[in-house]
Amino acid sequence: MLRKTSPRAALIAATLLASVAMPAVADEASGTLNVAFTKELENIDSYFNSSREGVVMQRAVWDGLIYRNPETNEYVGNLATSWEWIDDTTLEFKLREGVTFHNGEPFNADDVVFTVNFVAKEENGVKTQRNVNWMESAEKVDDYTVRIKLKKKFPAAIEFLSGPVSMYPNEYYAEVGASGMGLKPVGTGPYRVTEVVPGQHFKLEANSAYHDSPKGQPEIANIDIRTIPDVNTQMAELFSGSLDLIWQVPADQAAKLGQMGQFTVANESTMRVGYLQMDSAGRSGDNPFTNKLVRQAVNHAINRQELVDALLQGSSKVVYTPCFPSQFGCVQDVTEYEFNPEKAKELLAEAGYPDGFETAFYAYRDRQYAEAISSYLNNVGIKTDFKMLQYSALRELNMDGKVPLSFQTWGSYSINDASAMVSQFFKHGSLDSTRDDEVRDWLDVADSSTNPDERIEYYSKALEKITDEAFWAPMFTYNTNYVFTDQVAYTPTPDEVLRFVDMTWN
Amino acid sequence: MSNAPDPLLQEIQGPSPRQMLKTRALGHKGLLFGMAVVGLLVLVAILAPVLAPHDPYAQSLMNRMVPPVFMGGTWEHPLGTDHLGRDYLSRLIYGARVSLLIGAVAALISGVIGTAMGVAAGYFGGKVDAVVTFLINVRLAMPVVLVALAVVAILGGSLTVVICVLGLLLWDRFAVVMRASTLQVSRRDYVAAAQVIGASTPRILLTEIMPNIFNNLIVVITLEMAHAILLEAALSFLGLGVQPPTPSWGLMVSEGKNMMLFEPWLVLIPGAVLFVLVLAINLMGDGLRDVTSPEGRS
Repeated sequence: MLRKTSPRAALIAATLLASVAMPAVADEASGTLNVAFTKELENIDSYFNSSREGVVMQRAVWDGLIYRNPETNEYVGNLATSWEWIDDTTLEFKLREGVTFHNGEPFNADDVVFTVNFVAKEENGVKTQRNVNWMESAEKVDDYTVRIKLKKKFPAAIEFLSGPVSMYPNEYYAEVGASGMGLKPVGTGPYRVTEVVPGQHFKLEANSAYHDSPKGQPEIANIDIRTIPDVNTQMAELFSGSLDLIWQVPADQAAKLGQMGQFTVANESTMRVGYLQMDSAGRSGDNPFTNKLVRQAVNHAINRQELVDALLQGSSKVVYTPCFPSQFGCVQDVTEYEFNPEKAKELLAEAGYPDGFETAFYAYRDRQYAEAISSYLNNVGIKTDFKMLQYSALRELNMDGKVPLSFQTWGSYSINDASAMVSQFFKHGSLDSTRDDEVRDWLDVADSSTNPDERIEYYSKALEKITDEAFWAPMFTYNTNYVFTDQVAYTPTPDEVLRFVDMTWN
Repeated sequence: MSNAPDPLLQEIQGPSPRQMLKTRALGHKGLLFGMAVVGLLVLVAILAPVLAPHDPYAQSLMNRMVPPVFMGGTWEHPLGTDHLGRDYLSRLIYGARVSLLIGAVAALISGVIGTAMGVAAGYFGGKVDAVVTFLINVRLAMPVVLVALAVVAILGGSLTVVICVLGLLLWDRFAVVMRASTLQVSRRDYVAAAQVIGASTPRILLTEIMPNIFNNLIVVITLEMAHAILLEAALSFLGLGVQPPTPSWGLMVSEGKNMMLFEPWLVLIPGAVLFVLVLAINLMGDGLRDVTSPEGRS
């Protein structure tokens, strides 16, 4: 074991030596926490990006009316102090008084009315319409009372208002618009943005006038975020001290970093679920996946436990539902398919493919997992023609119904409700590869009912049919690794959101 | 009377040109090394099913990234295993097939295209020459890697596509060299003699011109083979070449890249083999030029 680590130690030492020349500004004394983003954030304005990095910035710079405590999942007021349902489609909020935006503009009902009316309007082009298109409009009752009207019954409204819907300053936004907001963001959040180099570099400063928010008060004075796409570079900078925190570190590297003993490696599950999507509706032409036996064979061919143990590691879990277990309505009492390649071969033979068949197999991320999955499929006779595409390209092919089999993942935007995943994919939308009328009808009831028992009942019905018919092969949940120096104290939350406000110096 | 031997007599009694070629070849260390390494790798590629200790596709997720034997591993996997627990030595051996096949076939395709164009331009001259020269210029103006990337991105990566794209892109050097050599050779007396006795054009090209420019052709073939192998590795590294699970050295480098800091051998082993093969082919090509062309003799 000792012999095994010595060349590695040599390499790391070399890396350290090589970086002596770099300015090591990252430490507690300077009060700056240096963080790396792996992907470029195209626009910091949270309504005009759809990336995880965007969610991180949104939570730091802006506030919503409501806040969900990530540990207890309890909803508490943030920019609102209380709220009540006036009727099935109207919510009334009492707003917090004395809150100001980073530019000094006071927060009041006009800001809420402006923000809601702006984002709810489809032609304003908010990137993820699902986050906002359930709202009809907002109206001012008095300076600190506001009503939001919904298009129809939408029980997840509170969850969305505590998540992606954040409040913007009306006067400032009217003046500078989305592009101005992207370059010089202004919010009410615990951190204010002092410098933006789009896609590359963001500097944040603690908001000393932050209101008494359930998010807590920021302790770290400055946050410096740089985009560094390569994991090896990120790790080298972590060794040299010019980075204090990296996240989304692949499991193998995180394990090695943990062994070194100088860094804290924290692992948390995320809401992302990895699954195989099969074209059961036959949109890509006559294909074997329209046969239930073939879909069941695929489900039996995958060794989910081995994937989780060997590749995903950490707090990942095997799942059989097309949703994340903690989501409301994601009942776990469904048909499970154990790993059994012999049974898979029998099912294929019964379906009329004794020698298997050949199919295109698409993936857009985690090539390693996709390769392992394709190897399981090859093993039972399903020959895969592996194609790795960019997410946007695969999404387009998928919308055109040209994808017979693909490895997909969905993170539900960290929304803790089954509608964010099941209803996204099984209600005859452009990404629905199943198109089952019964499932859609059940989901319609479950999505719009305000009675929790009824919602559970209809989600169960839908999930039972989806798993019985093996429309998908859900496989595992994701996890993410946060690696930071011993100077930093941070406990990550299970929703894959990096919360700067929760970080402190040791 | 001087005691010096008659030079004419010495030339008649001395070794034949073929013997002299053999002596020169055996004395050329680079050529010998190159031929030995290439020969060995060709043999390994042909005998892959016999030599490989494991199935190169057999995945064993519980045995991922076992280090090679010289870094603390076991002889079960002499060069360790990759990120999916597949035997690295077996994948390396099967990868030799992919590299050599792509190198040989791509060089052959571009050789046929380039030689045909070059010889035609050199022998006929005039308008044919003008057209060929224009085509060569057009081809030289296109960056090979960019065009290959674009074509593979549109058609999708596969062994056949990569071979065809490279074959259709690498003919320029063949055309340039063959044109120049043919220009030289076609002014020789024996060509004029063949024309005078009424030999047909195909006959002149095949029996008078081709044998005399063949040496140059061999050298260009080796150069382009090495070029094609490197390009395949680059395309596969970028994810646009040979698709997994087919073992390809470029792909192996790309797959090991993320673990480079902690498991450098994942990148070093296929990188080193690729380096040795390309070096050997280039040494072989250089050697062949030195041995066959008059200018290279020293």
